[in-house]
Amino acid sequence: MEFPAALFPCYFGAGPPREEGGPSPVAGWGEHGQVLEGGPGRRQAQPAFVPRRGATGERWEAADAAAVPVLLPSAGCWIPSPAPQDILYRNGLCRKLQAGKSGATLDFAKQLGHFFVDHPEDAFGSLGRLLHKNFYLGSSKLKVIVSRNSTIRMTALVEDIDRLEARRGCPRQHLASRLRWFSHLCRDWLFEVPLGLLADCLHEELMLQWSNLLFDDSLTGGALVWLPFGEGGTPMGRLVHPGGQAMNHLYFQDVVLEELPRTRGSPAQFELSGRIRQVAAARVNGEDFVGVRSDYHCGVWRVPSRTGAAPTPLQVIRTDVPASCLTVSPHLPGELSVCTQSGTVYLWNIETGLQQLRCDPQTMFFRDHSPWRWSDFTAHPRVLSCADRTGLQCLDARAPKKCHFDLFKVGEEAGCQQGERVVLPMYLGTAHPSQYLVTTQFSVYVLDERLPLVPILKWAHMMKAPPLFAHLMPGNPGRSHKVLLGASCTQEILLLQYRASFWGVSSGGSQSACQLAGTPQKLHSITGCLQHLPTQLPHRHHLLQQRLTAPATGMAATLQEDGPHKSMLVFQLSEAGDVFCQRLTHKAAQPCAPPSRDETTTAPGSSPLFEAPASSPQGLDAAALRYRRWLRAFSKAYKEHPRHTWTPSLSQRRLFTRRDLEGPVGPSTLQRQMRQRLRQAMWEGGRIQCWEPLAVQPPPLLQTLEPAGGLDPLSARLTAAWAGDWDQWWEERTSFNVAQRQRALRERRRRQKRARGRRSLSASFTSSLTYQSELSELSDAGPQVVSPGRPPIFSQEGSPPAGSPPVRRPLTSPVPDEALLSSQSLRCRGIPKERRKTLRDYLSVLAEGAPEPPEPPGSQASQLCIPSSQSQLSSASQPCRKRPRMGF
Amino acid sequence: SSNEHKLNFKKSKEACLSYIQDALLQKQWKRAAEFLTCYVESLEKDYSRENIGPSEMIWRIGTEILWHHSHSSMKEFNCFMEQMKTLGVKRYLKVCLEHVFHLLCNGQIDEAYQNLSLAESWRFGEQTAIQDKEMKLIQAYRGLLDYYSWSKQKNILLEQGEDGFSDLAVEQEMHSCFRKAAVNLKEIIKIPGVWDVFVKCYVDLLEFYGDHNEACQVLNEYAYNSKFPANPNAHVYLYQFLKRQGESKKSLISALKILHDIVPSHELMIDFNIMLQKSKKKKKRRLGLEVIFAALDYSSWKENAKAWSCLARQVKRIVISEKHLDWIKQEWNSRKDWWPAFHFSRYVAKRNWQENKSLAYEKALVAGILLGKDCKYFKHVSHQGCKAQLKRFQMLKKFVNRHNPVYLRISG
Repeated sequence: MEFPAALFPCYFGAGPPREEGGPSPVAGWGEHGQVLEGGPGRRQAQPAFVPRRGATGERWEAADAAAVPVLLPSAGCWIPSPAPQDILYRNGLCRKLQAGKSGATLDFAKQLGHFFVDHPEDAFGSLGRLLHKNFYLGSSKLKVIVSRNSTIRMTALVEDIDRLEARRGCPRQHLASRLRWFSHLCRDWLFEVPLGLLADCLHEELMLQWSNLLFDDSLTGGALVWLPFGEGGTPMGRLVHPGGQAMNHLYFQDVVLEELPRTRGSPAQFELSGRIRQVAAARVNGEDFVGVRSDYHCGVWRVPSRTGAAPTPLQVIRTDVPASCLTVSPHLPGELSVCTQSGTVYLWNIETGLQQLRCDPQTMFFRDHSPWRWSDFTAHPRVLSCADRTGLQCLDARAPKKCHFDLFKVGEEAGCQQGERVVLPMYLGTAHPSQYLVTTQFSVYVLDERLPLVPILKWAHMMKAPPLFAHLMPGNPGRSHKVLLGASCTQEILLLQYRASFWGVSSGGSQSACQLAGTPQKLHSITGCLQHLPTQLPHRHHLLQQRLTAPATGMAATLQEDGPHKSMLVFQLSEAGDVFCQRLTHKAAQPCAPPSRDETTTAPGSSPLFEAPASSPQGLDAAALRYRRWLRAFSKAYKEHPRHTWTPSLSQRRLFTRRDLEGPVGPSTLQRQMRQRLRQAMWEGGRIQCWEPLAVQPPPLLQTLEPAGGLDPLSARLTAAWAGDWDQWWEERTSFNVAQRQRALRERRRRQKRARGRRSLSASFTSSLTYQSELSELSDAGPQVVSPGRPPIFSQEGSPPAGSPPVRRPLTSPVPDEALLSSQSLRCRGIPKERRKTLRDYLSVLAEGAPEPPEPPGSQASQLCIPSSQSQLSSASQPCRKRPRMGF
Repeated sequence: SSNEHKLNFKKSKEACLSYIQDALLQKQWKRAAEFLTCYVESLEKDYSRENIGPSEMIWRIGTEILWHHSHSSMKEFNCFMEQMKTLGVKRYLKVCLEHVFHLLCNGQIDEAYQNLSLAESWRFGEQTAIQDKEMKLIQAYRGLLDYYSWSKQKNILLEQGEDGFSDLAVEQEMHSCFRKAAVNLKEIIKIPGVWDVFVKCYVDLLEFYGDHNEACQVLNEYAYNSKFPANPNAHVYLYQFLKRQGESKKSLISALKILHDIVPSHELMIDFNIMLQKSKKKKKRRLGLEVIFAALDYSSWKENAKAWSCLARQVKRIVISEKHLDWIKQEWNSRKDWWPAFHFSRYVAKRNWQENKSLAYEKALVAGILLGKDCKYFKHVSHQGCKAQLKRFQMLKKFVNRHNPVYLRISG
């Protein structure tokens, strides 16, 4: 490729960056930068100028309103990586401190405590055995026996500890003196592991976790790769991505690119011994070489670019220090470059082995603490680039010590800002053999290795998180090259276009300088689809949100040309192993009239999914179907692992004293019945699904609840508050002595109201039942009639119809009678008018014993979503999780 | 309290900004414009001490919207820019420069010239370093436009000259343009930077008026001053100037030698190699071999038929004369472990044969000599060539077979 005959003018200075500043939200807009004479028009009287930024680019528009899942979620349950709230100290006092001063406080004590609780055997094992005989934990008094002198009673201490735990987070928390005394006494000898050492290690780990949360550079480069079959053009290819619960499985999945990408056959799968951090690939001599990096291992596979051809693992290397980079040579087969965090750069050839090119723990241009290193190939197959946070150097593998030059420096040379650091360098060889892309947290640079240190293109990308992933799609001669930048934690994807050459007349039609074309465009992120999904139950919404907002860990893209239709497919991989995809279609720009674009007709992204593009109804259905299947598999994966979800349990030991629990001498019949039921539930290992004594024995409960005379003031107040006329009650109470005469009258009215209040309480409960029934009405399986032989209020853990309708009908009477359904009876039960119909419909369905054809409610029908799968799930999981709490 | 009010205001400002950003990134210019009209309010209570204040944001966003908005006109754009210039003193020159760029890109050269003249006369207190740079750029661009009008008048005069009479007024105007352009252009190219356009124009002016010494000095300074970046174009301009001046081969070679040292993959290396091959000196011919080998190391030259033919010609000449085989041996030594996979694999042979037969021919010749007659590339290409009964390839096969012992001497 020829060197541009003239470059855009720019100043060149040396030294550290002078420009102050930080991330600016708009720094990339509204600037041409520089202009240069060029373009067709020199023959005319006036010279024509082209801008460095602001030239027209190609128009790409999103085909759908959101990204669509490509793969079904894996069977295993995904465990999210630690969030800030897991390791940060949360306390009122601390928050105040934090607000004043920046910097986070890590909850060191809690984590250390976790160690003692999780590994008591390691922490106190042998001393525990030694002291076993001398510690007494029973609740009765120590008997005066022989061992009296050598045994102490620890019960009170344990109780103190328990109490401490119960009051965790309470601002009025004081250390019990006994605890302080004990810790003072045994701090030095009780722990098996030296406390100082343990604390050091833990602190280090916490700091590491925290810095990873702030910015995880181990993901640099991304772990998703698209390998097209053949010479390109065929609508098929292979997606290489990590999977499995620990992201340690490597998958090679054949994919057919239709309206939406569709997987074909089952993937080739390899189990690796570490979490996959990066997948890199390059095509050499018609074969793809795929490099895979985990922390301590790097491997390389050879993949023939044909359908069904199996990938062959070639070689694995192990490193002592975590590797931070792996790139595959686009020039020579089986050649890769590896960097480790110790500052070593290797050229790895699968035939000749490793060649160390550089070993320097120090950064290149100025001191920076980050051990991150990167390396990539250049136009010369023997010259590699090495990068750290301060810049890039190129070195010749034949004489790495002698032959090297600086390619990029964070400094005045490139017009950097203070505090700017290299985030990701990338060789742009497929677009232009001597060009390089360097991203920092603020800007993106294009460099030409023939003119080192001076960026031939610079643009402030304005992304919220530093771009860790980049993907290049070279354009044909005369067309712009497309670069995608991707961030991890914010899932942003930005599409840029640049032209490596335009028609420069002054140089006789040869190459001219590099310019940015069109405006940057934001693509959909995985999270973006959340707003288009149907409304979920809160806990499911939370799970889904957690899953969809997982940091991105990779990005890949491909251009597809089908005659005049050009489209771009962008894949995004999340930490949870989800691969989502979006299609962008190329709109042929009118060459003569660029201002004819009008966004009123087509505003991508502003319209909700599944509703807008009337042009492609198939795509619409396909996307909706995709979501439906994905959601179903997602909920299934979570249902299969209920033990991961936290089951509520509450210790009652510290809530009540034993005397409180003892109760009256003789338990009432109701209490006995309840106890029996409770015992049975515990025996069966089930749970009480609906604790409803009222339903079992309505008359006695009514009697017990209805006080014969006046209630005690608290109960009265609460009852009044429930009924909603608490203020009136208060007034009454203050004017207690005013009129003896009116008292009788008010007493009667109050009774009436109280009765209604109790009913509306139960009505609210019924309404929640109706809600459940609404959901199960939509479910695929349809509501199942509960056999009357078994009490339906219990449900066993493993039994499939966990979502069996928790209705009261079978309790009150074995057959649904008409009286139950009459509006009068419903009204007197306190069921609000608007819910009566639903309940009636539902009960009538039950009476017939067959599910009605599901009729989606209006709100959901308009969204065209997937009612069955997740509502079935929710009706199944909701009562299991919520009910036991109500029982207690 | 007022503090709370300030905070709320700040929050809503930020929210508004994020909406604008969102709209811009989705190319919804109308939506962005609507939000921007709300954001203008933030100017009223601009308490910020941030690097980029609201006024700069409005300038940047507004400009971007006006570039793309379907209903915007140049008149509106100019109006907006004039307003933006008054909004911040520190940014005045920058906004002027950007305004000029936009005018230039839209072909409004005269308006751009007026704006540049206006901006040049602007004075406000002491200038910062950045403003100083911007002022120099403004002057340089004015010089550039002066150069273009000079060259226009020059063309008119030349045309008239052919007719046999000259216009004194035009000539005077041309000279005044020259003076204005020369003063400004001379200034900017003293400062370290990449000034390709300005240097070219200035040298053109000087050459026209016969000041070759000054031109040579300017070009030498641009190419060899160590404060300037290692710009290959600087050396190219110098080489072209020397060539135009009819300088000796020696000085041309020395100019290209430096270009070879900094950019071995430059496209002028073919000219350089041809020039060196013609030389009678052994040393120069040797350098020629080095140059062409080095150029072919780069992936951008992989399929350059001209370069391969240069190499093939030189190698063939050496092999036939059987002198200086050690030159080839030395060059080959550092390449024999990776050139076979890089240039001479079977896959590459197949592709070259399909796409460019003459490239395949030249490469096969080189491969046959460097790697022997059993090398994959040579075997494939000569086999295909003989099958197609191309005489050229049959000759090639004979030649390589005859000179096969050379391969042993090179690789040994």
